[in-house]
Amino acid sequence: MLKDSPVDPRGPRFSAWMTTVILAIVLLTGWWRLLAAQTVLFAMCAFISLKLNPWGHVYRYAIQPRLTPTTEREEAAPLRFAQGVGFVFALIGTLGYATGLTTLGMVATGFALVAALLNAALGLCLGCEMYLVLRRYVPALARPQ
Amino acid sequence: MTGVWALVGALAVAGALAVLLKVREGRISRRPAAVDLPAPVRDLLAPGVTLVQLSTTFCAPCRHAKVILRDLADRTDGLTHAELDITNLPDVAASLGVMRTPTTLALTADGTEVLRVGGVPKRDSLLEALRPHLP
Repeated sequence: MLKDSPVDPRGPRFSAWMTTVILAIVLLTGWWRLLAAQTVLFAMCAFISLKLNPWGHVYRYAIQPRLTPTTEREEAAPLRFAQGVGFVFALIGTLGYATGLTTLGMVATGFALVAALLNAALGLCLGCEMYLVLRRYVPALARPQ
Repeated sequence: MTGVWALVGALAVAGALAVLLKVREGRISRRPAAVDLPAPVRDLLAPGVTLVQLSTTFCAPCRHAKVILRDLADRTDGLTHAELDITNLPDVAASLGVMRTPTTLALTADGTEVLRVGGVPKRDSLLEALRPHLP
């Protein structure tokens, strides 16, 4: 796992908008292969590096040059954690759709969409704020000292 | 058609959560029962009132809370700010009944909890609430 350096916080917000759109398309069409692709993307960002996120590159090359520069930086750890939470929901959603458990697929995708939209619109990372609760029920989240 | 309703439902839930979280953000509360403070928190107590900010590695707004609280403590006599990373101290969170970060506890030198704030504190209302406990 690579260690990412802090990032311009507007990049992840843009990325969250794109994720919201993708998840909305999945809900509307039930196109599980698209959700599977999003699941892989979540996994790459969470477990390897945020640099693998194509929306980050779109932001850096197409959007950032048009914006006023900012010195504000956001730590990578919360962002990676959020991608991990997204990965879990997207994986459950993909398995649900692919195996015919459409309701499960929709509910899991819906949860992921709610989290992505709150992140995009308000900059709020639901998974990060709820880390303590998640950790209480998922001991595997414990990080080695 | 079900997909459309699922999307509408998800948007409604997101809207409701956004309103709920905005309302609760920075809200000051007081807990009636006193608890035995865990040692890592007790070790941070200073004379006057100490704002003990509980954070985790995964908490983006903790940084904003730290800026506000540190500035408030620097400008206020008898007020100290201390941050405790509880990423690997779930027992501390559980014993204090803390479910989210940042949560800030205002504690007197003897460990009495004056109030607590969930989320990023609002500077003015926090100072107002702390006034009676400051020298």
